[in-house]
Amino acid sequence: MSPLLAAAARRLGRRVLPPEPVDHADDADAGLVEELRAAIGAERVRADAAARYLASRDASIYSEGTAGPLCFPVTTTQVSACVKIAAAHDRAVVPRGAGTGLSGGAAPLGRPVVLSLTRMNELLSVDLDNGVAWVQPGMVNLELSRRLAPYGMHYAPDPSSQQACTIGGNVATNSGGPHCLAYGVTSAHVVALEVVLSDGSVVTLGDLGAEPAGYDLRGAFVGSEGMCGITTAAAVRLTPNPAAVRTMLMAYDSVSAGAATVSAIIAGGIVPAALEMLDKRCISAVEDFAKAGYPRDAASVLLVELDGPAGGVAASADRVAEIARANGAVSVRVAADDDERARLWKGRKSAFGAVANILPDYYLHDTVVPRSRLVEVLEQVYEIADRYELTVLNVFHAGDGNLHPILAFDARVDGTIERVHEAGREIIEASLAVGGALSGEHGIGVEKRDYMDRMFSEADLDQQSRLRAAFDPHCRLNPGKVLPSAHSCADIGSLRAADGKLWG
Amino acid sequence: MDLRLDDDELTSCVACGLCLPHCPTFVVTGRDTESPRGRIALMRAVQNEGAPVTAEVLRSMETCVQCLGCETACPSGVPFGHLMEGTRAALAAEGRITPWWQRLGLRLLRHRRLLLAGSTLLALAARLKLLPARRLGLPARLPLRRGRHRASGSDVWLFTGCVMDAWQRHTHLAVQRVLEAAGVGVTPTAGAAPCCGALHTHAGLEPDATDIARGVIAQLSGDDRPVLVDSAGCGAAMKHYGRLLGTPEARDFAARVFDVHEWLADRLDVLLQNRPAEPLELTVAVQDPCHLRHAQRSHEAVPVVLGPFVRDLVTLDDDGLCCGAGGAYSMLEPELATAIRVRKTAAVERSGASVVASANPGCSLHLAAAGLDVRHPLELVAKALDAGASAAP
Repeated sequence: MSPLLAAAARRLGRRVLPPEPVDHADDADAGLVEELRAAIGAERVRADAAARYLASRDASIYSEGTAGPLCFPVTTTQVSACVKIAAAHDRAVVPRGAGTGLSGGAAPLGRPVVLSLTRMNELLSVDLDNGVAWVQPGMVNLELSRRLAPYGMHYAPDPSSQQACTIGGNVATNSGGPHCLAYGVTSAHVVALEVVLSDGSVVTLGDLGAEPAGYDLRGAFVGSEGMCGITTAAAVRLTPNPAAVRTMLMAYDSVSAGAATVSAIIAGGIVPAALEMLDKRCISAVEDFAKAGYPRDAASVLLVELDGPAGGVAASADRVAEIARANGAVSVRVAADDDERARLWKGRKSAFGAVANILPDYYLHDTVVPRSRLVEVLEQVYEIADRYELTVLNVFHAGDGNLHPILAFDARVDGTIERVHEAGREIIEASLAVGGALSGEHGIGVEKRDYMDRMFSEADLDQQSRLRAAFDPHCRLNPGKVLPSAHSCADIGSLRAADGKLWG
Repeated sequence: MDLRLDDDELTSCVACGLCLPHCPTFVVTGRDTESPRGRIALMRAVQNEGAPVTAEVLRSMETCVQCLGCETACPSGVPFGHLMEGTRAALAAEGRITPWWQRLGLRLLRHRRLLLAGSTLLALAARLKLLPARRLGLPARLPLRRGRHRASGSDVWLFTGCVMDAWQRHTHLAVQRVLEAAGVGVTPTAGAAPCCGALHTHAGLEPDATDIARGVIAQLSGDDRPVLVDSAGCGAAMKHYGRLLGTPEARDFAARVFDVHEWLADRLDVLLQNRPAEPLELTVAVQDPCHLRHAQRSHEAVPVVLGPFVRDLVTLDDDGLCCGAGGAYSMLEPELATAIRVRKTAAVERSGASVVASANPGCSLHLAAAGLDVRHPLELVAKALDAGASAAP
C-alpha cells in the first residue's frame, strides 16, 4: 500500500483498503467445495484460509497437515453426505469437536475434509426407563450434566476439559476423568452409538439392552480416535447424583507419603469417587490462578472425593482421614460446603492451563503405571526433567496410576522443543519399563503413534490395523493416526501432501 | 502486518480451549474463527507468520463482543481484552476497520449539546413516525424531555456519560436520589466530562480514547472525591485509564473510580437506617453486565445492594454469559447480537423473574428491545425508598 493512500485512508477514516486477498493455490478444491456447499448449504462450508488455519490445529503441539474444506453439518444425513462427497473425490475426512485434545487426534494430516460437529449439540432425548440419554456429538460434556440435573442425573466421566470438550471427542478418545476411578471411563457410559462409516452409510452399534447380541462393536468403536467412523449420536448412561458427597484435601511433606496413602486407601477396600494428586510446583501454579486454598508449603496434596449414601460417606471419610494421618498427612481438610468443594476442584481442573503462569508452553504427558510403582516412576520423571533442564509439574489420577507430568517450556528458545520431545520419550520408556501403558486417556493420536511398537508386537499392530480396516477399508477416516505407518494400510495413499501455502 | 502486540501476551495462550464455552460468539456459531482461542491464533499468524489480513481475519476480529468472558475463564491469565484492543487499534490506524460513519458517530459523543439536541431530534422524528427507530436499533421510546441535573453536594461525582445521559437520564436521577438517601452529596458530571471513551477503545480509535481520558481526568481532578459510575461499561473504561495512559495521574484517577453498587455496598447499613424502604413485590433477575462481571469483577455488589429492596432476587443459570449488547455491538452486528440474546432471554424465562435488573445501559437497551422489563438496580431501590416514604406515618 502506498504511503499516500495510507495517509488518505487515515485522514478520511474510511475503509478504502480492501481486505488483503489470498491466492488460493488450491483451486483444485473448488469442485469439492461446490459439491459440499450444494449438499449441506453454502454457509456451512468454509474454504477460506483463516477457517482452515484454525481447523489445522487442536490443543496439542501437533499441526503437521492443513485442513481442506471445513464443514459444519447439522444432521446425520449431512455428515453422511459430506463423507460420500469426500470419498468420491478420494479425500480423507477428519472429524472435530471442540479441539481440546492433547495428542493431535483432531489435527489433520495431509489436506483432508474436516467436519466440525460443534453445531450438532442437541440433547435428543432422555429415557429415564432405560437410564440413558441420546445426545449429539457436539454436546459439551459439562453442559450435558447440567441439562440432566433436573432429572437428578449426571454424566459421570469428567475430563479436566469437561467445560469445553464434546461427547463425540470423549467417545473417540475413550476419555477418563477424576471420577472415573469409581464410575469407569467413557466406554462404560456409552451404551449405543449412531455412526457414519467411511462410505457414508449410517449404522447403529450396541443397543439399550443389558446384554446386546453379537460382538461388542460399540466396545471396539469407543476409543477408535475417529478412525473407524464418525459418531453422530450417542446413547449415554445416566448416573444418579449421589445422595452425599465429601471432598477432602490432604497435605504431605513428601510425594511418597501421598502415594503411600493412595495405596493404603485402595488396600483398605475403599473406592473413592476420585483420588487425585498434585505435586509442589503444581500446587503453586494452581494457587496463583484458582486460589483454591491448597497449602503452598506442602510437597504434595491428595484430593479425595467420596460419594454415596450419607452414612457410608461419613464413615469412609473418617476412615480415609485415619489412613491419611497414619501415612504422614500433615493436614486433613474436609470441604464444609458446596462452595469450598467447588473451589477445591477448580484448583485441580485448572491445573493444565495454569501452568502457563510459569512458562508460555506446555507438553502434557499421559501414561499409566501400576499404582505400586508410582513413586519410583515419579522420581524418574523428576530426574529426566532435571537432566533436560525442563520444568516439570505433576498432577495425576493417583487412584488408577494415571500420570500426567507437565513439561513447561518456552518454545521460542532454540532447541527447547527437541529437549521436550526427548524427555517425553524417556518418560514414556520409564513408564513402559515398569509394566505401564502408553496412554491413560488422552489417546494416541499423532503424539504416541510412533511409540506403539514399544508396547505392541508386530502381530498386535497388524490385528489392530485389520480391525480398523474392517470399519474403514479405504483408511479414509482420520488417516495417519494411532497406528505406525507400517501398519496403517492405505493411510499413506490418502494423505495428500499439505500444500503448505495456506495463506497464499 | 505488525499488530504491535506484546509477544509475551500473545504466546501466553496455550490453546487449551477452556475459553470456548464462555465466548458468546463461539457458543452461537460453533466456529473457531469466532472464538477467543481462534482469534489469538489469527493474531499470531498475522503478526508472526506474515499471514495477510483477509476479509475473514477482519470478520474474526470485528465479531468479538469484547465481553472478556474468556479472560475470567482463562486459567493461563491471557490478557485477551488488551490483545483485542491492540489488534483493533492497529487495524483502525490502517483504516481496515471502523468506517467513516462509525468514526463520525463516535466523534459526536464528545459534543454533549450536539448529542442531546440530536437525540431530541431523533425522538421527535420517531414520534412523528418519520424514523423506523426499532429497525435502526434505537430504543422504542427515546425521551423528548429529560429531568435537570443539579448538584446536591460535593462528596462524590456521579459520572453521567454521553448516550446514557441522553437516553436514560432518569436512571442517573434515581441513582442520585439513592445516594442522597444514604446522606451523600452528589455532583453530576454532566458537561464537565461528556464521554468516557469506552466505545472509542472498542472501535480501535485509541488516539480518541486517550484524548478523552486525559480530558476526563483534567476535569475531575483537583480533589480526591470518588467518581461513582452507574454504567458498567463506562466504569470499566475509566478504571482502565491507568493502563491506557500509563501515567501516575491516570492511575491515581482510576483508583478513585467506583461502580456505584460497589461503593454503596459498603454503606448499605447507613442507607437502610436513614430511610424506611418498602421492598417491591417483584421477582427480579440480576443480569451481570460483562463489564461489571469480567472487566471490573465487582458484580457481586449488585445483589448485595438490591437484595433488601425487592421481595425475590434470582440469579440466572447461564454462567454470566454475555447478552450480546457490547456497547455499539448490537447495532453493528445485529444478527450475532440477537442470536446471543436469545440465550439470555431464555435464561430469564427459566428464572421466573418479571423484571431484569441491569447495571449497564447497553445491556438494558438490548434486552428491553427483546421485550423484557429491564431496570437499573438503583432505579428499583429508588422506587422502594419512595414506597417506604409514602408508607411511613
